[in-house]
Amino acid sequence: MPRLSRSDWYDLSRDTNWTFRYVTEDAVFPEELSGSHRVGKQQWLAWDEPYKVSYREYVHNQVTKDTTTYSLKNAISRSKVFDELDPGWKSVILAHYGAITMPEYLASIGEARMARFGRAAAWRNTATFGALDEVRHGQIQAFFPYGLLEKEPRGDWALKAFHTNNWIAIAVRQLFDDMFVANDAVSIALQLTFTLETGFTNLQFLGMAADAIDVGDLEFGALISSIQTDEARHAQQGEPTIKVLIDNGHKAWGQFLIDHMFWRSWRAFALLTGLSMDYYTPLESRKMSFREFIEDWVIKQFAEQFRDYGLDFPWYWDEFVRELTWYHHAIHTVVWNWRPTVWWNPDAGVSPAEREWLEEKYPGWNRTFGRHWDVITENVRTGNIAATFPETLPLACNICQLPIVRAAGVLAGAHTDPAPLRHVHEGRLYLFCSEPCKWIFTQRPDRFKGHKSIVDRFLTGEISPPDVGGILAYMGLSEPEQGQDATGYAWANGG
Amino acid sequence: MALLPISATFDGDLVSLLVAVDDEDTADVVAQKIAHHVVGRRVAPRNAPVRLRVGGQVIDKDQVFRTIPAAPLDHVEAFFDE
Repeated sequence: MPRLSRSDWYDLSRDTNWTFRYVTEDAVFPEELSGSHRVGKQQWLAWDEPYKVSYREYVHNQVTKDTTTYSLKNAISRSKVFDELDPGWKSVILAHYGAITMPEYLASIGEARMARFGRAAAWRNTATFGALDEVRHGQIQAFFPYGLLEKEPRGDWALKAFHTNNWIAIAVRQLFDDMFVANDAVSIALQLTFTLETGFTNLQFLGMAADAIDVGDLEFGALISSIQTDEARHAQQGEPTIKVLIDNGHKAWGQFLIDHMFWRSWRAFALLTGLSMDYYTPLESRKMSFREFIEDWVIKQFAEQFRDYGLDFPWYWDEFVRELTWYHHAIHTVVWNWRPTVWWNPDAGVSPAEREWLEEKYPGWNRTFGRHWDVITENVRTGNIAATFPETLPLACNICQLPIVRAAGVLAGAHTDPAPLRHVHEGRLYLFCSEPCKWIFTQRPDRFKGHKSIVDRFLTGEISPPDVGGILAYMGLSEPEQGQDATGYAWANGG
Repeated sequence: MALLPISATFDGDLVSLLVAVDDEDTADVVAQKIAHHVVGRRVAPRNAPVRLRVGGQVIDKDQVFRTIPAAPLDHVEAFFDE
């Protein structure tokens, strides 16, 4: 039986395009779902994925990965590996599971949208694998924390978080609704695969897998490695999509979509990865600071992508680079202060040795942020724990949904005015943490105007009773689920 | 007498807070209400009076807040007057 090499049949089997006779092209690819009409039908046929895989190869690869990863999990689940992990690292994985598991599952909708409404058969083929990938990522990242439930009941936030109104869940949900659940195929390719996956998560997962192995969390390390290899493949849908846009004179639209989502991705990363790398990961396992990671990996990666495709750096690039020195430090302090509102135990990460590391990596950290921790530390040492808890809400940005910390930017010399940025649209006041978040809203207000931040919900009476207890209940946090200091304040006593 | 939610920061702190004040409060009372959430929590106490600044203008401590005038979510800043 003759056996053809893949290159002899791949294009033919992949390019299943139709000439429609009973429906119009517009009816098959409505612009709202496809987002492809700037470019003509024929021009889209130039779309070609850089990394090719057949269905047979795909299934073989995935079975191998699943077999290896699940076997490892089965072996480790009988051990005491989790019990012996650093408490800060446990927070890293609890935060990760709650914030990422359901978005991975929802990303299958985004991939499926490209698989149906992408204008090239090659694209639809690649996205079909992407949809299968994301279903797998949702399932595997729900199953692994399920295995932790006996040891850590909050592992169930992998499923629960997105069904609550927890403020982190609101932020992540709003971001991913914007990025892929409520987005068209072209925008998903540029915003999910080109910007978030290629630019941020693919690199982050490489780093997280290495960190997990270093702290002894072989289970999480194997899980993340197994996911990363899928991401590396399906993330490549962005490159041929931006190439088709640019080759057909629509660079400006591609640039806008990337500028929009790069900032939003940065905000989410500062929250999740910034805190994990600089505060939660045990000091002895930190290979680089969050700032070094962004500079050496993310910026380098984007610089190459921008150069390769003739794209410009986003207009806010200088502000982004300045934020590397201060933004996530401020968010960390807020998350730790408001720790009952999250489902993991925030690690203060400010023992004397850790402060020394922070000062080395972020010269001036003690002057800018250490002084807040001096006050907090004194309260802990004198037993005034009540003063370390909040009695009101921080204001939240109407785009990123994160606490507005411009005041920290003033302390860091990045801003001159601590006041939130304001914009009135159709009689409603919106507050923003930054010029890029305000720009994202004002470019397409109809896309965002209906959403309410946690503060909007509080002020419009959706949270009852309107007090700390009411807020925690609204966020779905019973007392045992509320975050506590990860180390029982060991850091304050020189630990 | 009406409850008024405002956007507030305390000089030296790092986050904007939602603070509930009464529109009949004096600027001095509003400043103290902001300080309650910050001083001794993230900003070290000092032996100095706390004052209120709105749009860069320092407000007389006895001025009634609604006469500034102030609307919901207007931003004010409290600070140590040293």
